[in-house]
Amino acid sequence: MAKLEVCDLGFSIENKRILDNINLCIEENKFVGLIGPNGCGKSTLLKNIYRIYKPHVGAVYLNKVDIGKIRSKEVAKNMSVVFQENNHQFEFTVKEIVLMGRYAHKGILDNNTKQDEEMALRSLEKVGLKDFYNRSFLSLSGGEKQRVLVARALTQNAKMIILDEPTNHLDIRYQLEIMDIISDLQVTAFAAIHDFNIASNYCDYLYVMEEGKIKYHGETKEILTSQMFEEVFGVKSYVFKNPFTNKIQISFYSKSSDK
Amino acid sequence: MKNLDNKLYSALLYMTLSIGLIFSIIASISLGAVRLDFNDVWKIIANKMFLNNIFQNTWNISTENIVWNLRFPRTILAIIAGSGLSICGIMMQALTKNPLANPYILGISSGASTGAVMVIIFGGSRLFALQSVSFGAFIGALFTSLLVFVLARKNGVFSSTRLVLTGVSVAALFSSITSFLIFTAKEVSKVREALFWMTGSLAGAKWDRLLWPALWLLVCYLFLIIFSRGLNSLLLGEGAATTLGVNTKFFKNAILFLGSILTGFVVSMTGVIGFVGLIVPHISRTLVGSDHRKVAALSIFIGPILLIWADVLARILARPEEIPIGIITAFLGSPFFIWLIRKSSYSFGGKDG
Repeated sequence: MAKLEVCDLGFSIENKRILDNINLCIEENKFVGLIGPNGCGKSTLLKNIYRIYKPHVGAVYLNKVDIGKIRSKEVAKNMSVVFQENNHQFEFTVKEIVLMGRYAHKGILDNNTKQDEEMALRSLEKVGLKDFYNRSFLSLSGGEKQRVLVARALTQNAKMIILDEPTNHLDIRYQLEIMDIISDLQVTAFAAIHDFNIASNYCDYLYVMEEGKIKYHGETKEILTSQMFEEVFGVKSYVFKNPFTNKIQISFYSKSSDK
Repeated sequence: MKNLDNKLYSALLYMTLSIGLIFSIIASISLGAVRLDFNDVWKIIANKMFLNNIFQNTWNISTENIVWNLRFPRTILAIIAGSGLSICGIMMQALTKNPLANPYILGISSGASTGAVMVIIFGGSRLFALQSVSFGAFIGALFTSLLVFVLARKNGVFSSTRLVLTGVSVAALFSSITSFLIFTAKEVSKVREALFWMTGSLAGAKWDRLLWPALWLLVCYLFLIIFSRGLNSLLLGEGAATTLGVNTKFFKNAILFLGSILTGFVVSMTGVIGFVGLIVPHISRTLVGSDHRKVAALSIFIGPILLIWADVLARILARPEEIPIGIITAFLGSPFFIWLIRKSSYSFGGKDG
């Protein structure tokens, strides 16, 4: 079980307020999405949650514990993160990368056990890369790398998973597969998402950010309305129910075609 | 099956390297201005090491002196400096996540040079010259790393990029001071001495000066082995390491602390020996991948072997004069490294295209 709460969080960069009075409550086993236009502070908020940044005001609580006050390993046992990592420069095998997910579960002198390796293999199998176990990570394509990082997060075996636009440059098939994998896990997920149809398909609940604040939040179908898209994103849209999935579907159109 | 192959591979690798190292040690003691008998050399060492006379004494006392008081400590210094520079290179590459990093990237060598050159040029009595030069170098090294550390910090944290850029600037500053000192020096012999020091030499080896550097080296090596998991993750970037549970602040501070002092020790004993700290970690990675435990273990064989042979060449190429060892390491190291880059499947930081 995992429950994430953000209380009165504020964050500034060089005296410019980037996040202001953010309050979130991500319930157990829910898939919660975070949407908002570029520069609204989505990524900064997530970085405050996964501790790249330290909040200047307020705090982030994981299962009622302030994550700023406990050891990194304790946080990592309960929360894994998938984000875009572009600065890999050193050769590792896929196996080594995925097994790094076990770091938080290991003492400093422990070796990887058979169970660890089996876990890594299972995770790779889930993302469809079972045969890549001994391949060099740097030789993979962008999409394959991203799936390996998802496998690493699965191997971390945490009950909370944060996704910072992890599927951006993946083919649609892998975008869906990864979202399927994560929503099938018995975990709480919090994801920054660019594609609203994907958000509609997978999220139970949505937070909408604008200019460093939470503008709206609520059940997915209540949030995804053409008024909201016009107001927050400045675009025209046609929102309808997909008869096949019964989920909300959004189609955007340019202002010029508006008659 | 794959696992078995891996085990066999590392067993063979370490066996070859151990034999190579032992052979290099004995060969390096036999070769030099005076050529000594191979047989005598290892017997003298065995007798001295085990503190009793295993072998009949068939050699004269001057041979024993050359072996035990001159050449053996020099070879030990080559081992300490070779592994020390390699370990520092590994540490700095992990700290900066940059495959181009070397032990001197924080400007430590420039600061050490300034310290040493100051002592050489304004130096006190000749009697303590060697000790005071290396003392000057050590102080210079520590002062520089402290300066870089303080200047690169902002709001209590330092980014890798800022650290490297600060290091480069501070290095330039100290290099200019050193050049100024050398150009304005009155005595030609001191200029030559300063230049010789700056290119590195193992000639100053003395038994009583090896203990602390060796102990510090051991601490650094253990750090790499014990914390290899965290260091591996650190190579993926600080963000990734943090989310995996690595306390990146501890790691960065520990590397800076251990690495600067180790570099300071090595540079103060040998001067600035280039290239070893950059290439040895990469040679090791081409053989065993990037896992710090393996890279560190391999580097403390490869670094010493490389430096021992460079020193042998430094001693015999222009007999009876000695060439600064840094000239050899760079002259032979760079073509070898270029060959390695071109032929290897190992990517040295990022694939093309």
